[in-house]
Amino acid sequence: MKHTPLFGFHKGTANLTEFAGYEMPLWYTSISDEHLAVRNTAGIFDVSHMGRIVVEGPDSDRFLDRLLPTTASSQPSGKSFYTLFLTERGGIIDDLIALKISPNNYILVVNAANTEKDFDHMRAYSRGYDVRMSDTTSASTMIAVQGPHAQDTLSTLVSINLDGLKRFRNIATFVRDREATISRTGYTGEDGFEIIIHQVGMANPEPALEIWKELANTATPCGLGARDSLRIEAGYPLYGSDITEEYSLYEAELAWVISNDKHEFVGKEALDVGAGRKPERKRRGIVLDEKIPRSGFEVYAESAEKIGEITSGSFSPILRKGIGLGYLKDEDQEIGHPVRVKVRESLVGAKIVKPPFYDESLYGWKRLRER
Amino acid sequence: MVAGDYEIPEDLLYSREHEWARRLNGRVRVGITDYAAKTLNDVVYVSLPKLGESLAQFTVFGTVESIKAVSELYSPFSGIIVKLNEELNSHPELVNKSPYVEGWILELKPSDYQSERSALLGPADYAKHLATIATSTEHH
Repeated sequence: MKHTPLFGFHKGTANLTEFAGYEMPLWYTSISDEHLAVRNTAGIFDVSHMGRIVVEGPDSDRFLDRLLPTTASSQPSGKSFYTLFLTERGGIIDDLIALKISPNNYILVVNAANTEKDFDHMRAYSRGYDVRMSDTTSASTMIAVQGPHAQDTLSTLVSINLDGLKRFRNIATFVRDREATISRTGYTGEDGFEIIIHQVGMANPEPALEIWKELANTATPCGLGARDSLRIEAGYPLYGSDITEEYSLYEAELAWVISNDKHEFVGKEALDVGAGRKPERKRRGIVLDEKIPRSGFEVYAESAEKIGEITSGSFSPILRKGIGLGYLKDEDQEIGHPVRVKVRESLVGAKIVKPPFYDESLYGWKRLRER
Repeated sequence: MVAGDYEIPEDLLYSREHEWARRLNGRVRVGITDYAAKTLNDVVYVSLPKLGESLAQFTVFGTVESIKAVSELYSPFSGIIVKLNEELNSHPELVNKSPYVEGWILELKPSDYQSERSALLGPADYAKHLATIATSTEHH
């Protein structure tokens, strides 16, 4: 199994699990405690397993404009944006965060399990473009610092004023004395940062371990268990569960990634056909009266007709209820609508909601902005 | 006794599916082991059977659900359910906090205690059973 530079910390402190070929922390103390630490104070996650593909060279803007539904060339330097890789048929190959460092210079952060597939996809379209692509995953470390106190935690390790770094922006700087790129993004619904520490990989893990331990003085180490429950509570899809090549981005409610000015990109023709039609099913959130929905559980209308399926589920430590994401048939997607979920032998009462599942005046990054 | 990170009380019998059984005045109290509780992590629901229901040895009588996973509960003995730990409805976390005392799940009146007990493990054999699981996990 593969390891990240922070494995020396995880081994002995975490309950470990295999994820995308890596041995990763599932939880250190308790998924619920780690989850609540992120909602109430701050948590840190080792996300070094996520793929990091650097794209550089004089045609990088043009190349990514061809590849992505989002116009990369018109993004300002220092912008981090969520986007997708699509097939010619409009299917979703992966979702990613693209960090535009400067014109013709990007870091694409992709799902760990898809790094090779994405790299192959990019290479397949790169002919005729003067671009260099390199997978820097194993030569760097990536840490997410998330929660309302994330800025306080990180500010002790950087010399820049983090007030100047807005949400969905990134900056090249130093963390301690190591070259790093900090992006104000995350996968928890909270304010926070994703830090790429360059040139600190498996060959020289010590600087990464030192930075992690310093962050852990004021933030709670969190495993993949809390990462999953937090992203479900925030309503974020997970590639492989909630979005795959089988779902269109209209069904997944991700059509907003298509820039208005986009004339040509991989998958556009298929999407233009889809844009004129009403999607047959749409991604929704579901809150259960009791029990916990899991992937594959069936959703029924009150008329007992099957209307969809759960694609990922969890217990919400904030609501103290089972919550799930899933796809529901067109006529049955109305927010607030009562439905039923088949949990093993019984049908459980549930309600359709629009994620996030929590009250945004109490939790999530928007509450900080409103203050 | 303690095996690795897990507590294994000496005075209990164990199933391979990680339930424990404690004899109490002709009844048997049942719960899940420290290993099971720690592996599940953060128990959030315990679905209990009904009082008076009769169970056969090693059949499923309920489920324990944590944030990440759901696990079935197997009865270590045949018998009739005479008591349920209703406290678990409002405080399922007792299974994590105190798997052998406050986190007990139900009590049975066993129908064939003497002959069925030989199908269960003593503490030393249960510790060996956990060691086997740990080794097989490492090889994955």
